[in-house]
Amino acid sequence: MSIVAEHEYQAKDYKSDLKPIWCPSCGDFGVVSAIYKALARIGRPPHEIAFVSGIGCSSRIPGYTTAYGFNSVHGRALPIAQGIKLANPDLLVLVAGGDGDGFSIGGGHVPHAIRRNLDLTYILMDNQIYGLTKGQLSPTSPRGLKTGSSFHGSLEEPVNPLLYVLSYGAGFVAQGTPADMSGLADVIEEGIRYPGFAFINVQSPCVTYGQEEQQLRVHKQKMQSLKDLAHDTTDRLKAMALAQEYGIKLYTGVFYRNPEPAATFETAVRELHDRLVPEARLRVDILDTFRPQ
Amino acid sequence: MRNDLIIGMAGSGGDGIVSAGESLMSALAREGYYAIMSKSFGSQIRGGESSCRLRISTDPVLSPGGTLDVAVALNWEDFMRFGSELPVDGRTVVIYDSNTKVQPDKLPLTEVRPAVAIPVPIQETARQHAGTDKAKNTVVLGLLAGWFKLAEENVLAGIRRKFGKKGEQVLRGNERAFAAGLEFAAAHPVDLDVVMAAPKAANGKILLLDGNEMCAAAAIFAGCDFFGGYPITPSTEIMHFLSKELWKHGGTVLQAEDEIAGIGAAVGASFAGKKAMTATSGPGMSLKTEILGLATIAELPLVCVNVQRGGPSTGIPTKSEQSDLFQAIFSAHGDAVRPVIAPISVHDTFRMTVEAFNIAEAYQTPVILLSDQEIAQRKETVPAINTANVHVVNRRLPTRSELDNYVRFRVTDSGVSPISHPGMKGGNYLASGIEHNEKGAPTAKGDVHARMNEKRIRKLIPLKHRRDLFVIEGDSHAPLAMVSWGSLAGVASEALERARKAGMRVKLLIPKLLYPVSEEIYRDFFREVKAGLIIEQSYQGQLYRVLRMYVDLPRGVQSLARSGSNPILVEEVVSRLQQLTLDLQRGRVPEPEPMLG
Repeated sequence: MSIVAEHEYQAKDYKSDLKPIWCPSCGDFGVVSAIYKALARIGRPPHEIAFVSGIGCSSRIPGYTTAYGFNSVHGRALPIAQGIKLANPDLLVLVAGGDGDGFSIGGGHVPHAIRRNLDLTYILMDNQIYGLTKGQLSPTSPRGLKTGSSFHGSLEEPVNPLLYVLSYGAGFVAQGTPADMSGLADVIEEGIRYPGFAFINVQSPCVTYGQEEQQLRVHKQKMQSLKDLAHDTTDRLKAMALAQEYGIKLYTGVFYRNPEPAATFETAVRELHDRLVPEARLRVDILDTFRPQ
Repeated sequence: MRNDLIIGMAGSGGDGIVSAGESLMSALAREGYYAIMSKSFGSQIRGGESSCRLRISTDPVLSPGGTLDVAVALNWEDFMRFGSELPVDGRTVVIYDSNTKVQPDKLPLTEVRPAVAIPVPIQETARQHAGTDKAKNTVVLGLLAGWFKLAEENVLAGIRRKFGKKGEQVLRGNERAFAAGLEFAAAHPVDLDVVMAAPKAANGKILLLDGNEMCAAAAIFAGCDFFGGYPITPSTEIMHFLSKELWKHGGTVLQAEDEIAGIGAAVGASFAGKKAMTATSGPGMSLKTEILGLATIAELPLVCVNVQRGGPSTGIPTKSEQSDLFQAIFSAHGDAVRPVIAPISVHDTFRMTVEAFNIAEAYQTPVILLSDQEIAQRKETVPAINTANVHVVNRRLPTRSELDNYVRFRVTDSGVSPISHPGMKGGNYLASGIEHNEKGAPTAKGDVHARMNEKRIRKLIPLKHRRDLFVIEGDSHAPLAMVSWGSLAGVASEALERARKAGMRVKLLIPKLLYPVSEEIYRDFFREVKAGLIIEQSYQGQLYRVLRMYVDLPRGVQSLARSGSNPILVEEVVSRLQQLTLDLQRGRVPEPEPMLG
């Protein structure tokens, strides 16, 4: 897919009239703004963008853009997005959702989306809590966290989304926070431009049920730019070492970017079509396949 | 001379009994006979029991038939495992391998003595002439061709084609094994009328295929561009055929990581403007149910095939049943009405699959195509289908002026709103599983919810008047009636013919549209009916119960239903009809049986 701007777009061109249902100062406001900005820089017209989500507070996000949106069912954004991309590879396809949507109920789809390597950008809004159901454990909640469903404290270790996707083989892995709006828009833009599956973990605080130490003001003090650390983004093992510190440190920027992106699934599909379509009989003649031999 | 012959064969997996059946069928089809072949297996992948039942006729046939005219047992243990699937009676010719050491008068059959039992040294002959047990099935083909005068030349030609690729030695061995089978038959004439009449005419452009292949081919014909699925018995062959053919038509086949992802990707492709399908069987259907609901509320066309097998849960994956009707109709949460249609044969699977796509696209709804293992995995001779007469429907896209101020879910007179897809400028909208207003904006307002529910259900009402999705046969004023669906419809159809020949006044209704229930069509059909049978392959009699729910069935209409893998036979239906006729003549209206469960 070539990303060529037909004409200049501005962030507001991607903003819909729907008023977000999010709580005031929810981190997701920052995420959607960063998406508007990144899309404007990319410059694809909204009708050529499909934006797919599952269920959760953050999954409302497609409706707040002017793209074709699909606010689907819990955990299934990735399969639906893959169907869309395969049906029309020319579309720019974004996928978004929360940590529960992506790594709990939908966790089984993540490795497969990554190994197929369609050109999708998956933005995970990670707030370590279930907000829409009013405060229960999420797969990224730290051990010991007391919530509505863990009255005496969580007994489970959290998943590490960054380490998971790196070990599944994702070609682009980054992290951002609305505490650094310009950095967030940058990684989203870069993820979209990456020709293959791109994963962006956004630390997007829940102001109502989230922990004190996960709020934006804490992020501001804690966040550490990977660029400033002179991290080599082509080194997957170093990226994995840094990702180990998920939950302890808050690194922002690109963890890993495959310097030689693998061919995408849709490229392989195009090649298969180029090879097979010329030998096809007409659809109306398909039954001729079954003349007895 | 016979016009109709039913051959049942059973052996171990490696005996190649199914492959022999396929060779024979192929030869007979070329000869001009009509045929149906169903296969049945144990659940083992290798070495388990396998069987086939081949029905040959000089006229088109509708069901795999009842009692066997010819039974072939390579060993009795495997044969007996099929029980009522391979019924033998006093008219049956039994052929079996003499290496079983069973005396002809001591066959391990329960309470029946066949007309004749012929022990044949099948294994010994195969070893002697081909040097391998693998040629046992070829010996069987020689025996059948010899005794019943079945397409000897064409069978031999088929053997040559099949084994020609495997080298001179294998080919000659099989030719000798076939000839030895013929010779054995010639040397041991059977004193019964077993010779098959010549076919009436060459069949011309006949096709030979099974229901899964037909479904997949029809999907390609209907314009399907995307298939997302996950392997599951007995529907997987749909994916196999598409994986070979759909790509050639620019389509895509995705073997998803699970059943949910398979239907999810299909819904995504549909949202993106393509005709999409998924296929599964019972347990997979349970997993797909949530996304079916999404397709209903997001008003996205989708064809979901369920090839029914024995359930619940893993149940009997390799055997046919019709016990997913309740699931098809009622498994949705919320007020989701989705069309359910069922083909009645391999032949009919073409039209019903195209119909499933047409309904899905025309009404922007998921459609459940409810096939069953019997139809899906049996091979039939199918007369050439004139595809020029088969209409293909595409979804109603918005016009340029409708895109100017586009309202995706506009409440129209028909309930159907023009549907855009990504890439269409001005058509941008939010598809969602959350309730939405006409523009697609999420809402929790009760009045909007009610209006949208009404729209989504109202748009399907025209389906209830689709009389072309119902077949009515027999005496229209008959007091006695049958209703049957899916693969059992052929059994009922044949029972109707026999019952009428026996002088009974009876008629038959075959609904191919099972939901929404067309009350009017049933009401007309049952108007003068006093008694009857709803015939189906499920323990509860699921169609019977659905009809009791929606239609004022006459009191004397009973359920004739049974769990899968225990076929309902034509003879049995006819005898029930006889009993009901007697009851009516005596002025007695039979009582419906109390409902279990």
